[in-house]
Amino acid sequence: MKNNLHVERAIKKLTQAELADKVGVSRQTINSIESNKYIPSTLLSLKIARVFGKSVEEIFQLEKKDL
Amino acid sequence: MKAKYLFPYSSRYLGIGLILVHIPIKLLWDHFYPNGYDQHISSSGSTGFLFSAPHLFFIGTTLMVLVGLFLVAFSRERVEDEQIIQLRLDSLRWAIYLNYAILLFSLIFTYGNDSNHILMLNIWLPLLFFILRFQWVIYRLNRSARSNDSDTRL
Repeated sequence: MKNNLHVERAIKKLTQAELADKVGVSRQTINSIESNKYIPSTLLSLKIARVFGKSVEEIFQLEKKDL
Repeated sequence: MKAKYLFPYSSRYLGIGLILVHIPIKLLWDHFYPNGYDQHISSSGSTGFLFSAPHLFFIGTTLMVLVGLFLVAFSRERVEDEQIIQLRLDSLRWAIYLNYAILLFSLIFTYGNDSNHILMLNIWLPLLFFILRFQWVIYRLNRSARSNDSDTRL
């Protein structure tokens, strides 16, 4: 699964720590998601999408290897 | 996702304290009663008895180490989020696999008193494996986050 969290953060001018605070996780977790080391739960994905005012699939996309 | 059945973050310090306090007590006991504890274990009732001084000492020190390790292993992290919960579970599985692999191997190649000692080590060895592995993955996670620190500034 890939994501464009880094880009969305840049648009909203949010740091990893600020986003982490808004969704109630650690900065390390946001960092792991951005570097594709950790796949967030549905709940966390929905919370992140809500921060950016977008749908989950605009931020997280399935890759061929996931199918 | 909420982590259940974990102790508060600060209880890890109580755990470390218990483990540290146990060390001088054990050393003093071993100094004053060399072989006392082993004799008690191997006597199988001939000289030792339930709640005798060596038995009470054994219960006391074993409880200190066990409770200490338990508190260190199962206290919350500062931010106990879903990634930490997953790492905790992964580390627990890893520790149990490693422990039982070593246990099976050692039981095959030992007998008698050595086997008893190995089984006694297994009172706290899985917890120790878990703590080491869990702290190692958390250290790696923090290091990886620090190395990407420039990104956090955008």
